[in-house]
Amino acid sequence: MNKIKFKNFATTNEAIVAYTIVVLCLLIGFANPAFFSFSTVITLSRAMLITLIFAALEMVIIISGGIDVSFPAIACISAYSTIKLILKFDIDSIAFFYIFASAIGLCFGAINAYLIAKRNISPLIATLGVSSIANGATLAFLGTKEFSNIPDHIDSLSRSYLFSFTNSAGIKYQMTTLILIPIVLLIVFFIVLKFTTFGRGIYAIGGDENAARIAGFNVVRIKSFLYMFSGVLAAIGGVTYTILMRQSSPQNLMGAEMMVIAAVVVGGTRITGGHGTVLGTVLGVLLIAIVQNNLVMVGIPTSYQTFVVGLIIVMGTGITSIRSKHIANSAKI
Amino acid sequence: MNLDLIKNRNVNKNNIMLLGLGVAIFIIMSILEPRIFLRSANIRGMFVQLPEYGILCYGMMLAMISGGIDLSLVGIANLASIVAASVMIGQDGSPFSIVLGIIAALLVGATCGLFNGFLIGYLKIPAMLVTLCGLQLYIGLGLAITKGPAMTGLPEAYGNIANKLFLGIPIPFYVFVVVTAVIAFIMRSTIYGQQLKFMGTNETASKYSGINNLKVTLITYMTGGILGAISGVLISSHYNSAKSDYGSSYTLLTLLIVVLGGTDPDGGEGNVMGVAFAVLLLQLVSSAFNILRINSFLKTFVYGLILVLTMLITGYFDVRGRDKN
Repeated sequence: MNKIKFKNFATTNEAIVAYTIVVLCLLIGFANPAFFSFSTVITLSRAMLITLIFAALEMVIIISGGIDVSFPAIACISAYSTIKLILKFDIDSIAFFYIFASAIGLCFGAINAYLIAKRNISPLIATLGVSSIANGATLAFLGTKEFSNIPDHIDSLSRSYLFSFTNSAGIKYQMTTLILIPIVLLIVFFIVLKFTTFGRGIYAIGGDENAARIAGFNVVRIKSFLYMFSGVLAAIGGVTYTILMRQSSPQNLMGAEMMVIAAVVVGGTRITGGHGTVLGTVLGVLLIAIVQNNLVMVGIPTSYQTFVVGLIIVMGTGITSIRSKHIANSAKI
Repeated sequence: MNLDLIKNRNVNKNNIMLLGLGVAIFIIMSILEPRIFLRSANIRGMFVQLPEYGILCYGMMLAMISGGIDLSLVGIANLASIVAASVMIGQDGSPFSIVLGIIAALLVGATCGLFNGFLIGYLKIPAMLVTLCGLQLYIGLGLAITKGPAMTGLPEAYGNIANKLFLGIPIPFYVFVVVTAVIAFIMRSTIYGQQLKFMGTNETASKYSGINNLKVTLITYMTGGILGAISGVLISSHYNSAKSDYGSSYTLLTLLIVVLGGTDPDGGEGNVMGVAFAVLLLQLVSSAFNILRINSFLKTFVYGLILVLTMLITGYFDVRGRDKN
C-alpha cells in the first residue's frame, strides 16, 4: 500500500518539477560552487516574492478554467495611483496604501468579473481588453513620471528584516519581512482549495462548468468572486512590489503575465482547468526563478534568457500534455 | 445572381456598419483638419502602416476561425525579419541577397507556424498557451541573434519595398490587397476553407465526418506564420532595420480588429471583408488620434474600451437572436 502511494507520488507533476530543480541546481552548483550558499536562498526568495503572489491568483483563475492577463496592469494602476495620492496629501500610512490600492484593484476585478462571469466573454479577450484599458488609463491620465521618494514610514517596511546573515566575505544578506505575505497567502489558498466546499467548487467549475452547476455550485457567483479577488491580489502584489523596489513607475510590471503563467503551467496546473496544486505552483515559480537568476552562472549569456525560458515552458507543457494523452489512451479498468 | 448579392448584404450588416463608421471618421476629419488629414503625405503614411498589421490580422482571423488564437504573430514577424536581415548582411546586399532574405523570412515564418500547429494539433496543447509560449520563444530567439539592439546596415534597395510608390500608392498596400484577395479566395473557394469553418464550429463532429483536423490545424498556423513573415518583411523594410520588439502593440490591435471584423472568438465564423474594413477603420482612427494630437497612450485605453464594448454588444445581439429563434 505504502509502496503504491510512494510510486504515485514519485511520478506526479510536482515530483517531476522537483527533480528538474534538483538537477538544475546540481548543474549550476557544479559550474559555480558559489551557488550552494545560504545567500542564494535569500536572493531567490526575494526574486520569487512578487511572482508568488501573482502566481497564486493566476493558479486559482486557471484552475477555474479561465485566464487573467490583466493583473500586471491592475497592479500598476492601483499601486501607482495610490502612491500619487499619498505623495499629494502626505498620507504616510502602510494600511492606507494597501487598502486604497486594493479597492482600486477590486473595481477592475469587478469589471473582469462582469465581462467573464456575467456576460460569458472569453476570459483571454476580456482581460486583454481590461489590461489595455487600465494601462492606457494609467499612462494617459496619471502620467509617466517615476516616483522614488516613498514616504518614510512606508519605506521603513522595505528595511525591516526577519533575520540577517553575514557570509564569510562580510557581505550581509537579509530576509525581508514582506516574504510573509506570499507565505500566508499560499497557506490560506492551500487550505481553501483542499478543505472547503468553495475550493472544491473551483476545481469543479474548471473540470466541467455544466456539471458543477447541476451539482449545485453557483458558477456565476464563484467566478465573479475569483476575478474580483484576483483584482485585489494584483493590487496587493503591486503595492508590495512598490515597497520592495522603493520606487513606483506606471508600467514596471507590464509583461509579467508571461512569466507568471509560465510558472503556473510548469508547476502542473492544466491550462484547460480543473487541475493544479499550491505546491506545484511554488515549485514552478522556483524553477523559473532559478533559471532567470542563475543562467549567467552556467555561462549562458543574458540575451539567450528569454529563449531558454520559452523553451522550458514549451517542454514543460509538452510533457504534461503527452502524459495526459498517455493517460487518456491507456486501458481503462 | 442579384438575389445572392442582396442576401449577402443582409448577412453582412456588420461590414456596412464598419464601412459607415470609416466614412464618417473620414468626413469628420476632412472637415476638422482638411489641410493635414487630406495631405498626400498623411494618406501615404496610412497606406504604408496599415498593411503591417493588416496582414497579421488575417493570420489571427484564420486561427480564430479554427477555434484557436495566435498570439505569436508579432514574434514570428520579428524573427523572420531578423533572419532575413542576417542573410542580407551576410550576402553583401546584392539584389539577389534581398530575394534570398525574403525567401528565408518566409521559410522561417512557415516553420514557426508549423511548430505552433504541431503543438496545437498533435499534442493538443491549447492554442492560447502554445502561441503565448511561442511569442516568448520567437522573441527570445530574435534577441539571441541580435543580442538586443536593432540590426542595421540593410541594403538600401530593401528599404524601397516599403517606402517606394507604384502609381502613386505605396507598394505595401498592393501586398495587402493581394493577400486579402488570396485569403478571400481560400476562405470562399477551397476545400480547406470549408473544412476550417467546420472544424472551428465543432472539432469532434469534423473529425467524425472525415476531416483531417491535424492537417487543417497545421495549414492554418503555417499560413499564419507565412503572413507573419510577410508583415515582418514590410516592417523591417519600413524601418530598414530589424529588431526583436518592433510592433509589440500589434497583438492587441490585431485581436481587436479581428473581433471588430465579425469573427467569432469561439471559432467557426469570420469574413475577410469584415476584417479588411476593420483594418481601414482602425487606421483612420489611429491617424485621427495623431492629427488631433491626442496623447498616444489614450489610444491604448480607447482600443481596450472598443474591444470590450464590441464583445459586449455582439454578445448582447447573440443572446437576443437566440431568444428569437
